[in-house]
Amino acid sequence: MRQAKKLLEEIGIEPERVEMFNIGASDAVLFAKAADQMTECANRLGPSPLKKARGVSK
Amino acid sequence: MIVAERKLFEQIWESVKDLKSLLVLGCGTCVSVCQSGGEKEVGLLASELRMKSRLAGKEIKIGEATIERQCDREFFDSIKDKVNEYDAILSMACGAGVQFSAEVLEPVRVIPALNTRFIGVTVEEGIWAERCRACGNCVLRDYGGICPITICAKSLVNGPCGGSKNGKCEASQEKDCAWVLIYNRLKKQNRLDDLRRDAPIKDYTTQTHPGRYVNEAYRKPELEAQHAE
Repeated sequence: MRQAKKLLEEIGIEPERVEMFNIGASDAVLFAKAADQMTECANRLGPSPLKKARGVSK
Repeated sequence: MIVAERKLFEQIWESVKDLKSLLVLGCGTCVSVCQSGGEKEVGLLASELRMKSRLAGKEIKIGEATIERQCDREFFDSIKDKVNEYDAILSMACGAGVQFSAEVLEPVRVIPALNTRFIGVTVEEGIWAERCRACGNCVLRDYGGICPITICAKSLVNGPCGGSKNGKCEASQEKDCAWVLIYNRLKKQNRLDDLRRDAPIKDYTTQTHPGRYVNEAYRKPELEAQHAE
């Protein structure tokens, strides 16, 4: 995961766009928390710069 | 194996950003084992370059290939036709592989993606350390299989310097003193008496560059004479 973040950073993409969570199959609360965290992160960062570069508006 | 590490992405990008097409070429032997230039690393670098070129508003066609060895002519046959589709090759081989690729694939431009570090071993997963300086005159027999040329910061062959302290080297406290390692190894082998003799003067003629070696079975006297001229 550290390497994946580094690779993204090298090319100018925010490393926090990728995260890894270890969650048990029965742990719905943790899963929901992780999903919330990533949703908040995506909203904060906006669309991926790659999408912008490709000309995708939404 | 030959151990290499990838250059900084910015350096690689600087070398390739003005190209229209590029083939990232991996090497399936040493650099594959040390996780710097094998098939997996080719995939990672090619993906990075594709994303970076898109972000930079450039259209670079990026291909991927990995051959068994870039230091052996026969393995280039599988990619010889493919390379003509590209402006340049970004070689993920060691320095020898990059040079040989440039020679075999001439006039195609070959750009290095790695910095070649040393001949070494896998200490543990993800960690490699130098073990041989390729001096051409191996003295490991006399030192219990520990190379003072490589492991000693000063390449001393007749014992430690005054900077050896608590088994560590004055050049870095993280480095073991080669001579303490040698002493301990020979002690375990009941060969400490071997250290009483002076090391013979080293034959530095074996270190002239570029090195060349021809197996006895393949020696052709007339060709060798031609090469020596």
